[in-house]
Amino acid sequence: MRGYGAVKRGFWLVFWREFTWLRRRPFLLCLTTIVPLIIMAVLILVFSAGLATRLPIAVLDLDASDLSRQIVRTVNATPDTAVADHVTDLAAGKRMILSGRIHGLLMLPKNLERDVLAGRRPEVVFFYNNQFMTTGGLTLRGVNAAVPAVEGAVRVSLRTSRGIEAVMAQQAITPIPIHSNTLFNPTLNYAHFLLAALLPAILQVVIIVSSAYAVGLDTEHRHRLRILRRLGNGLWPAMFGKLLPYTLLFLAVLGTADAVLFGVLDLPLRGSPLLLVASTFIFILTCQFLGLLLALLIKPVASAISVATILAAPAFGFMGIGFPRVGMNLFAYWWGAALPGTWYLSARIDQTLRGTPSELALHPMLVLAAFAIGLALLAALRLNIIRKRADAAAAKPRTAT
Amino acid sequence: MSGIAIAFRRELKRIFSMKEVLSTIFAAALIYSLYYPQPYVNEALRDIPIALVDLDGTTASRELARRIDASPDVAVAMVLPDLPTAQRQVYERTISGIVVIPRYFERELLHGRASPILQYTDASYFLVNQRVAAGISGTARAFGVEVEEARLVALQVDPPTAAAVTSPLPFTAIPLFNPAGGYATYLLPGAFLLILQQTLLVAVCLLAVTARRTRLEPATGPVATVLGNLLAYLAVEAIVVPIYLIVTPYFYGVPRLGSLADILVAAIPFVLAVSAMGMVIGSLFRSPLSVQLVAAAIGMPFFFLSGFSWPTEAIPPALHAVSMLVPSTFAVTGLTMVAQMGASIAEINLQFLGLWALAIGYVLLAIALEWRRQRRNQPSTGQISTA
Repeated sequence: MRGYGAVKRGFWLVFWREFTWLRRRPFLLCLTTIVPLIIMAVLILVFSAGLATRLPIAVLDLDASDLSRQIVRTVNATPDTAVADHVTDLAAGKRMILSGRIHGLLMLPKNLERDVLAGRRPEVVFFYNNQFMTTGGLTLRGVNAAVPAVEGAVRVSLRTSRGIEAVMAQQAITPIPIHSNTLFNPTLNYAHFLLAALLPAILQVVIIVSSAYAVGLDTEHRHRLRILRRLGNGLWPAMFGKLLPYTLLFLAVLGTADAVLFGVLDLPLRGSPLLLVASTFIFILTCQFLGLLLALLIKPVASAISVATILAAPAFGFMGIGFPRVGMNLFAYWWGAALPGTWYLSARIDQTLRGTPSELALHPMLVLAAFAIGLALLAALRLNIIRKRADAAAAKPRTAT
Repeated sequence: MSGIAIAFRRELKRIFSMKEVLSTIFAAALIYSLYYPQPYVNEALRDIPIALVDLDGTTASRELARRIDASPDVAVAMVLPDLPTAQRQVYERTISGIVVIPRYFERELLHGRASPILQYTDASYFLVNQRVAAGISGTARAFGVEVEEARLVALQVDPPTAAAVTSPLPFTAIPLFNPAGGYATYLLPGAFLLILQQTLLVAVCLLAVTARRTRLEPATGPVATVLGNLLAYLAVEAIVVPIYLIVTPYFYGVPRLGSLADILVAAIPFVLAVSAMGMVIGSLFRSPLSVQLVAAAIGMPFFFLSGFSWPTEAIPPALHAVSMLVPSTFAVTGLTMVAQMGASIAEINLQFLGLWALAIGYVLLAIALEWRRQRRNQPSTGQISTA
């Protein structure tokens, strides 16, 4: 049993050696700081608008009446859509959609106004491009709000023209009004939703891959691992001394990105900042342990990095932000459950957008902590096996000679 | 001509003799096309669990609740006594929406007054929010129209007139492509193009870095070397491109409206631009390992820059302009338009010419770099490698 002082000394020795290393290896420093920061900055710029507004659509107005012009004006006035062009036939509209210049085409049939007043129920049709679903959905939302609004006005005027009072008519046309409450992100801001989840997802890839690399540098050759162990006065303090400098770097990187999210893009922090920082810390450690384990299990380093990349790079889809996990097949659902990011993003959404009461927010954090402990134990087990093998190998030549 | 043939043959041999390159191109095609689409294979989101808070408990409220439950989007997973209890369930992520039917719902309806209901949807997940809101409000609106028609018929209005008064201006929305709103159909074509770009870029970088590291003797002059290499990459991608753009999408049931010829014609400048860009970027790296490390995280931003899942109109113009230097920005939308939407090459003129411009630009740059490398190497063959 080594003394506490020796362990502590060993830990700090490795800890400071790692910083010196980082200074001497600018590539590793870049990989863990500048590369993720640049990627995050690009993503922040992409989503900085938060909302996509005034998406271009075209109109085919075959009626050119007061009513059809009113519909066009209303569609143009919604925040989602802008009437960018008027076309004279359907083929021209289709060509514009196929070339990507517009996202939808609103067709107002001939004799629209006359038929409406005569009760013939003419149909207003909106063709939209749903291949690009976000854009398609947003343009549809705009038109879908505008046309029924005009219809509502028509319905009220049809009644008032028959002598019904305006207030009564308004009530009569919507027997069941829906009071819609959007919980947590009322403006449907993409920066608060997608961007806030993308940044940790980027970091997850960077942490797992670069940890596998950094540890791999020390464990690829047996003698390097022995040096590390001697320096640290044992493998445990050595490993923690090795990993902790990166933990601090990653905390700083995500902290920088979050400063922009909270400070500039107004991401709400409705929960507890303490819980958010705590879960971030556990998340980073978990990803590091995962990288550590991969580096210990797979040789050479290049293969460990390949495996880490295949695991981590496509992980975002499995974390259920875009397409939710309840809709996935069994494999994807459970694979998502095995990713640290899935739980961290839940914890993060709880503390930022949702403001989940702490007693309900503990679940994802506990899962994350269990991951951290489990991975650390597996890594310890593996380190023990490596050490035994190394000792055996070291003993052999001595007995031979 | 013979110079190009020499370079072509040698590069092809190198591709098939380097294990990392082979696995980056071929093994990745297999792994990613099996693994990446898994979250989306169910395509649509159905029967999202919501809670019902029925404070009325009458025939009308139960009928409305039954219809909401029957809608394809949502399913009433629990019936709860009050709003706070239901909100707790939203926090615990067991449900994603709440419908509250207030007291006297039926009485107000029978009196001919407006009888509102309340809907709460979880907007911390947008797709869920959209489906739940559509499911609840669509059902409630249809129910309301029935009530209104019944009222008018009760006032001796004949049914066709009642229909004309309740909805004088029916609105129909027709999705031109991806009519079922499938998530795989939406996401996979773009994702596969990005994976294609990513793997080809890494493979070419690895080849370039190794060539420099091992001080590979130039086979011919710089122009012939670059063109011969490009032909070699084009030959290899002639196998991989159809896998990503035609076979795998077919396997996952993604509709394809474009002709095979158009897809392949549009893919040529994409492959050339990515390959040439790989040769240029390869000159920035010193070791194969660093290529792999940087490539791991760099793919995601390109996806969101391509205007595919986030409209180009909302991206800052300066950033969009810079992003056009990356082939995927043109290719993701352009090739999806050709393959999934059946656009002709003429209709994606902008993307098609953009890709050719990038291809030519990067090829010239690659030739210039190769020329410099060959000139530097000539007098210094005895120098010791510093990498």
